[in-house]
Amino acid sequence: MLALACLPAIGEGIYFRDKVSWQSSIPASELVTVDQAKAWGEGAIWVDARPDDEFARDHVPGAFSVNEDRWNELLPQFLPNWSPDKKVVVYCGAESCNAAREVAKRLRDEAQLQNVFVLDGGWEGWAKKSR
Amino acid sequence: MKFVWRILDLIAGGIFIYAGVLKVLDPVRFGLDIDNYKTLPWLISVRLAFYLPWLEIFCGVALVFRFLYRGGLSILAALILVFIGATVAARMRGLDITCGCFGHASQHWSFPQHLALDLSIFVALAALLLRELKWGAINDSKN
Repeated sequence: MLALACLPAIGEGIYFRDKVSWQSSIPASELVTVDQAKAWGEGAIWVDARPDDEFARDHVPGAFSVNEDRWNELLPQFLPNWSPDKKVVVYCGAESCNAAREVAKRLRDEAQLQNVFVLDGGWEGWAKKSR
Repeated sequence: MKFVWRILDLIAGGIFIYAGVLKVLDPVRFGLDIDNYKTLPWLISVRLAFYLPWLEIFCGVALVFRFLYRGGLSILAALILVFIGATVAARMRGLDITCGCFGHASQHWSFPQHLALDLSIFVALAALLLRELKWGAINDSKN
């Protein structure tokens, strides 16, 4: 029975192969690399989804702290800095963290922002490329 | 009494077939639901999201048609136990999870509602399994 269930699962996986992001829970269309985000220059607004203490320790220059712990407090501080022509780049600690995905989702769903992306590799990825 | 056990088979099997079909229709959503438990990497969650619904359906069918019956019952009992454990662990870690067990229908269920349903299903499966093992032992001793 355990082996039998593999057959339709593989078939379904093949059917959905182009509709599923296999490597990351974030679809490729919502991910941005460090190089791409840096190339946007002034057109990008950086959002740090990490906890306050990590943001205080170090962060991308000019980034706004918007984490889920203090969402109601931080979101109103961030929103006046947003404009429709800007791209929002959200990051958390590393590739494996979920905070950036969650914050990006809430920015899209609750704050109705467009052009919200998650930074591939997170803070670690940015730090590697920038030092 | 045999009739009552048969009805229990059909209800338990039907629940898993229904739950499996809902998840087969939206494997990405189910993958995100598994990912929300924050216990497995996405690479595994997304693959489980394609596999587990079919396993539920096949085991549910096994209960309904009494084909590979003990295997189906054992797998479903093990699945629901793992699921109860994961739900409780997620709750203890303060995660606000969507179980995804019945697609969007269960999206807004509270933790006690999830737990009550899961425990009821587990008790039903355990009862069926114990009865089956007991009957099997009696039949074996007769032969």
